[in-house]
Parts: sequence; structure tokens; C-alpha cells
Amino acid sequence: MTSKPMNMVQALNSALDNLLSSDDRVILLGEDIGIDGGVFRVTDGLLAKYGAERVIDTPLVELGIVGMAIGMAIQGLRPIPEIQFQDFIYTAMDQIINQMAKIRFRSGGEYECPLVLRTPYGGGVKGGLYHSQSGESYFAHTAGLTVVTPSNPYDAKGLLVSAAQGDDPVIFLEPKRLYRTAKQEVPDDLYKIPIGKAQVLQTGNDLTFITYGSMVPTVMDTVKKNNLDADVLDLRTLVPVDKNAIMQSVQKTGRIIIVHEAPRTGGFGAEISAMITERGIDFLYAPILRVTGPDSPIPYRMEEYYAPNERRIMNAVKKVMESA
Amino acid sequence: MEQQKKEKTESEKPRYIRAYAAMVLSRTLDKKIVSAQRQGRVGFYTPTMGQEALQVGISMALEKEDYVYGYYRDVPMMLHRGVPIETIINQIMGNSADTAKGRQMPSHYTSKAMHFMSVQSPVASNLPLAAGAAYALRYLKKKSVVVTTFGDGATSTPDFHAGMNLAAVFKLPLVFVCENNGYAISLPVERQTPVEISLKAVAYGMPGVKADGMNFVEMYNAAKKAIHDARSGNGPTLIDALSYRMGPHSTSDDPSKYRTDEVKEGSDRDPLVIGEKLLISMEFADDKLLEKIRNEAIKTVDEKFDACEKIPPPDPMTAFQDVYKNMTWMLEEEVKDIL
Ligand SMILES: Cc1ncc(C[n+]2csc(CCOP(=O)(O)OP(=O)(O)O)c2C)c(N)n1
Ligand SMILES: [Mg+2]
Repeated sequence: MTSKPMNMVQALNSALDNLLSSDDRVILLGEDIGIDGGVFRVTDGLLAKYGAERVIDTPLVELGIVGMAIGMAIQGLRPIPEIQFQDFIYTAMDQIINQMAKIRFRSGGEYECPLVLRTPYGGGVKGGLYHSQSGESYFAHTAGLTVVTPSNPYDAKGLLVSAAQGDDPVIFLEPKRLYRTAKQEVPDDLYKIPIGKAQVLQTGNDLTFITYGSMVPTVMDTVKKNNLDADVLDLRTLVPVDKNAIMQSVQKTGRIIIVHEAPRTGGFGAEISAMITERGIDFLYAPILRVTGPDSPIPYRMEEYYAPNERRIMNAVKKVMESA
Repeated sequence: MEQQKKEKTESEKPRYIRAYAAMVLSRTLDKKIVSAQRQGRVGFYTPTMGQEALQVGISMALEKEDYVYGYYRDVPMMLHRGVPIETIINQIMGNSADTAKGRQMPSHYTSKAMHFMSVQSPVASNLPLAAGAAYALRYLKKKSVVVTTFGDGATSTPDFHAGMNLAAVFKLPLVFVCENNGYAISLPVERQTPVEISLKAVAYGMPGVKADGMNFVEMYNAAKKAIHDARSGNGPTLIDALSYRMGPHSTSDDPSKYRTDEVKEGSDRDPLVIGEKLLISMEFADDKLLEKIRNEAIKTVDEKFDACEKIPPPDPMTAFQDVYKNMTWMLEEEVKDIL
């Protein structure tokens, strides 16, 4: 199998290209994804290759993009809609929560809704409060949705392929902060990374970092720079989360720090924390700490104050290591 | 010539009789469910009375390969399309024979076999799905048309706008049928929108037609043209099917609080009375035949209703299945705690 260095945008593009070429039922739709190749270029070149019937430039209507994709999925296609920025997904939330997530359940399993809703999320591009949000908790709270977020090019492609070949709707959150920051060797052909499986990025004995998506490199850089003897778990899938990977590490280290970019209150870290205490409080040597974005909208000029950074992560490390 | 015309009309006769029979069956079932609800045998229901002709007219113009993305008042259409009456009663009961395993409140039907998409509650959110379905069917080289139905209240929603615009932009094989029954619960259509609903089509560059939804033959003709256009690649049409909600919004509603302009059952505006007059004037039926159809409907409804009522409730486990294709570990854990 041939491969080449790709950034996350190129890896996603390669995944979509493979999916379109291997399955006629795959259709892409979204705003500016065709002739423009997507505002982040994820769909670059695909219109020319697969034509306007399969790579659809839609009118500017998020609920319509999502609603149409649901109807296509019900009639047997495998649509992959794109929402240009996660911040604009909210007018489609009724379609996502009340249609997409409930098609199988409400029809007694007669109808299915296999689709992947891709959308870039999080900060890192100086987009201010309407081009930087991290809304994963909204989706994680809805039964019927699978929620996936990759942190590197290799995973991005493998997870997108798995999502697109599954039988249930997937919310695929792409950390735009990482779109072009790193390159990895990525195979040109189709391959899959299983949904529901975390990746242990490094192993250690003192403490465990649980993180995902946009914050993975921040955590890894901090761990390396400070020579921390830590497990680092990249969840990759939030729903269904990899309970076993988490609990194995909890048993080993007993000191847990959860890092995410989304605001703290009601954030996905709260769910992980509750899950750990429910089934492993006896293993803990210290309170579980969260290092997250604040409970405020993400600002434009002062964006660097928003997402977790090395200093805040190291403060948390001190606290968990000082606990008896 | 005359002879040919007569023969053609004769051959149409069973079609018209079947249409009338579906209207009668629906009306009979409607009344049965409403009275059963009063006796505490049914939880809730949204009656269809008044909208029989418009729905059956649409259904007459549909082919087997066509699809309906409908809403909670589409019982007459379902019955006419051939959905077994048991499917409807079992859904109302939420029993173990219900397609959706008792998960949805009454009036939220599903019948994949008869190409009827499962009904959701949020008003009009089926319209963008219908656009996607029409796109998919055309892409798959099927000759199918999609019909989507919704109320007059639905025309104020963003989903209506989205669905209409998308269908027009992509010139989809899709027909929009507004079952304009004059009210959205308590709000009269004049307060819903200041323009006639058919005019809304102009903004999307598609034909908008008004049809007398109380007259099944007129409705059939309007639908035939719209469906033919959709099937021939000429794009979508909006049909404003003027009718009247003869019953309350639902069994929980008291219309006397907000309206007095009722259309009474058996009056000249009742779509069944209009249908009977049409059949008699076409010489397709006489009073005796109509009487027979009515009596058969009562017998069928009573028998089927009683039989369905005896079906036990679903297995509790089914309340937690079909969330995903395979149950998640979280739900497995939760279910263990519940059951
Ligand atoms: C989005 C949404 N808002 C409110 C409701 C509650 N509701 C149910 S039916 C209805 C009125 C609908 O009126 P119309 O579209 O005219 O259909 P009709 O019931 O008259 O057939 C309302 C407000 C709902 N189901 N969905
Ligand atoms: Mg109405």
C-alpha cells in the first residue's frame, strides 16, 4: 500500500476520495464544498472528479443540508454532509436531535440513517465566538448519535472511513486547529480505525491524561517538555467512549487529569469524571481535575487565553501529584 | 366515440368506489378511536375528519413505487395506499404488534412496506427529508415521486422554506401538499400568514395551485398533474389543499374556545357527502351501494379494533432497542438497572 505525508485536511480529502470511488451511494453535500473545495479545502478536487450530482454545492441552509442528508440516507444512500463551521449547526439541531438520532428507534428499526455529519470545530484560527466553538457535549447528550473527533491525520482518515461505513449517524468533529499543524505518513488506500476505541499515545505510571481532538498535541507537548511519567489517552470516540481503556489507566495511576477545549460546565470531562468515580473511586489518590476552556464565549483578540495551555496543565499536575 | 368514453369511465369506476370506501373506512375508524379515547381505551389521537377527500385524491394519483413523507393526520391516505388498518390501530394502541414497538405516541405511524416514512412530532421537519429522499430516488434512477404532506401551520416554519427552496433549486421529483384545514390548533390560517398559501410557491419559482380539498375528484386531478410533472422531470409543485379540520386538533383539545365556524358531519361541506353526490352523479353508485360500503366499514373497524385491543403490550426490552444498530455498553448497563 502506497502512502505519503499528509496533513489532516489532505488525509480527510483522501478518505472522501476513496469513499466516493469505492461506493456509488456516497454523496457529499454542503456549502461551498464543490467548486470552491470547501472553505478549509477538505473537499478540494472532488467535484471535478465525481461530478455535481455527487459533490453538491447546496444553498445556505444548515437544517436543509442535514435534513436532505437524512432523507438520502433513509432511501439507501450514504451521504456525508458538511457544516462549514460547527458554530452554525444550531439551526439544524432539531434535524440532528429529533430526526437523525431517532430514525431507527422511532420506526422500530424499519428505517436506518447511515450518514456522517462532518464539521470543523474549536479555536485556533482567530475566528472569534462564531467560528471557534466546541459543542461536542450537545451531541454526546443525544442518544442515537455517535460522536467522533480525531487528533491527527492518520486517525482522521481511518475514523472517517469507519464512520462512513457504519450503519448509524455519526457526528464527526474535525479540530480545525490541527487541520494543517502536523503531517503524518498516511496510506493512499482505504483503511479503518475502529470507532469506540481510544488510543494510548504514551504510557507512564504517575498520572493519566484523558483528552481528545484539539487538545491532544497540547497535552503531548506538555508531557514531553516536562518529562512527565504519564499515560496519555486520546479518546478518539466520545460516544460510545472507551470505558476499558480509561479504567485500565485509572487502576494503574490513580491520578487523573481531563483536558478539553470546550467550556467546563456540562462538558464531556464531567461525564468522564463521573464515570471514573462511579466505577473506580477506590483507585484514586487525588481528586479528578479538569483543565478546560472557561465558561465564557471564545474571544477574538484574546483567544490565547481561552484554550488549556502548558501552564494550566502543569498547575493541575502539581495539584494531583501533591495529593496523598 | 360516446361508447369509448363510456367504457373508459366504466373502467374508472372501481377506482372511484375504492377511493370512497377508503374515506368511509377512515371516518369510521376516526370516530371509533375518538370514542375509545373517551372511554380510556386509547391514550391520545389526532382526528382526520374533514381531510379524507384531499388525502385520498392525492393517493389515487400515486404509483406503488412512490413515497410519502407525511404527517400525523394521514390515516385516509395510508388506508387508501393499502396500509393495513391493523398497522394504524396497533400504532394507536402502542402494542407488541406495532411497527415501532409502542415507542411513539398515537398518530405517529410507520410503514416501510407501503413507502410511508415514519411520522415525527416536530412540525414540518419531514420536508427537508422529503427533498433528500427525492434527490436519492432520482440519483438511483428510480421513476418514483415523493409526496410530502403538512399542515397550514407548517408553512411558517424554517423547514418549510428550506424544503421548498431545496426542491426547487434541485428540480426534484417532489410534490408538496399543504393540508390546509384552516387551523393550527387554535390559530386560524389568516393569522398564520397574510398570503394565500399557494402564492408562496412563486417565491421559489415553482407552480402553486389551489385545490378544493373537500372534493376528492378535484384533488385527484390537481395531484395527477403535479405528480406527472414531478415524474417527468419538471420539478416540484405546491398544492394548497383547502379543507377543514372537522374535529378537535387532538383528543386533548376543546375547539369551542376558539372557533364557532364548524363544518358539521353530514352537512353539504362534509367531504364524504360531497363524495357521495359525485359518485351518484357519475352513476358509479346508488344509495344501496353507499349504504353497503358504510356498513362494511363499521363491521371492519369494530372487528379489527377489538382484535388489536387484545394484543399484549411490547416486551419492556424493546423500549431500549434500535437506538443504534448494536446496543452501546452504556445502555446495556442502564437497562440492567431498569429491568
Ligand atoms: C415545531 C413544533 N412546534 C409546535 C408543535 C406543537 N404542535 C403540534 S401540532 C401543532 C399545530 C400544527 O398545525 P398545522 O400545521 O396546521 O397542522 P394540523 O394540526 O392543523 O393538521 C402544534 C403547534 C410541534 N409539534 N412542533
Ligand atoms: Mg392546520
